[in-house]
Amino acid sequence: MKAGGTLFLSLLTLFSLASCANKNLVVLLPGPEGKTGRILVSNKGGTQLLSEPKQATAIQSQTVSPAIPFQMTDEIIRATYGDALTALPLSPTHFILYFKNGSTELTEESRKLLDEVLSTTRYRKSTDVSVVGHTDRVGTREYNFKLALGRAELVKQILVSQGIDPDFIDVTSHGKDNPLVKTDDEVSEPRNRRVEVVVR
Amino acid sequence: MKRIMLSVITLFLFCPSFVHASATPVGSIRTLKGKATIIRNKNAVETKIGSRVFQKDSLKTGADGSIAIVFKDDTLLSIGPNSEVVIKEFLFSPAEGKLSIITRLIKGTSAYISGIIGKLSPESVRFETPVADIAIRGTKFAVAVEGPVEESR
Repeated sequence: MKAGGTLFLSLLTLFSLASCANKNLVVLLPGPEGKTGRILVSNKGGTQLLSEPKQATAIQSQTVSPAIPFQMTDEIIRATYGDALTALPLSPTHFILYFKNGSTELTEESRKLLDEVLSTTRYRKSTDVSVVGHTDRVGTREYNFKLALGRAELVKQILVSQGIDPDFIDVTSHGKDNPLVKTDDEVSEPRNRRVEVVVR
Repeated sequence: MKRIMLSVITLFLFCPSFVHASATPVGSIRTLKGKATIIRNKNAVETKIGSRVFQKDSLKTGADGSIAIVFKDDTLLSIGPNSEVVIKEFLFSPAEGKLSIITRLIKGTSAYISGIIGKLSPESVRFETPVADIAIRGTKFAVAVEGPVEESR
């Protein structure tokens, strides 16, 4: 019984190798950190769960259930998806810069981290950098909206002064509405006084 | 009159995500090779690395093309040659609990690495194809579809 199953899978693999450019195929791959997730492939005919690295399913049509999963070889993965896989960029990098209480002055440590933001932006030749300002929950929404915006603008100014194109930088303020650490209103919390930078 | 103007301006200032909801980019082009274009309202628009991509845009490639988008939530999506994908819906406001990413591969090949929406709310991620839909419980996969099948969009 087990041998039969294995044979069936190999046949399917050979079949898709013969016509890999013209088949509906989904394959699950290990993610950038090496872990493999899980996906469900469903249509009107049924559902297949893929949960192992390089596990794949072929789909004939919308009304026929995705086929029993099989293990796809590296050769077929490359032949079928090579160009799309090569086109995948690096995952974005996130940074958190912290600020002194009620001010747009960076903490010592974060000032150093800013160098890393710069070098990452340059190394990646990034054309899309998000800079989002935040505050803790002390003060009014209006005050904190402006303070968070001021923090974000300061980070942008520094990046621009170091040669990053301002058109690539997108500044927003979340004020006191999006704390990293949930606190009651009017609680002073250094970890919430921050600017989050995403270099894409 | 002045007062009304002031409150309108204030509204704009404090609800930026609301006011600009439809005009906010969902991501940008990160890699590009050969013939590859963004299609917006049925027209090909200028496409280069860094071009902003919006909800309802399509990406289309020629025989030698490939293109990849990095979404605001870190999701990565690429397509290979002779491929077409539509960004049907993208909502990313974690603070308001509004999360959704729906993409549809019309034809060709695509690779996909799920991002923050996939971590926070896997049920809000859907990758459609003409023959089956993919629900995501994490990370990376690749798809090939024969298309165009019975439908044109």
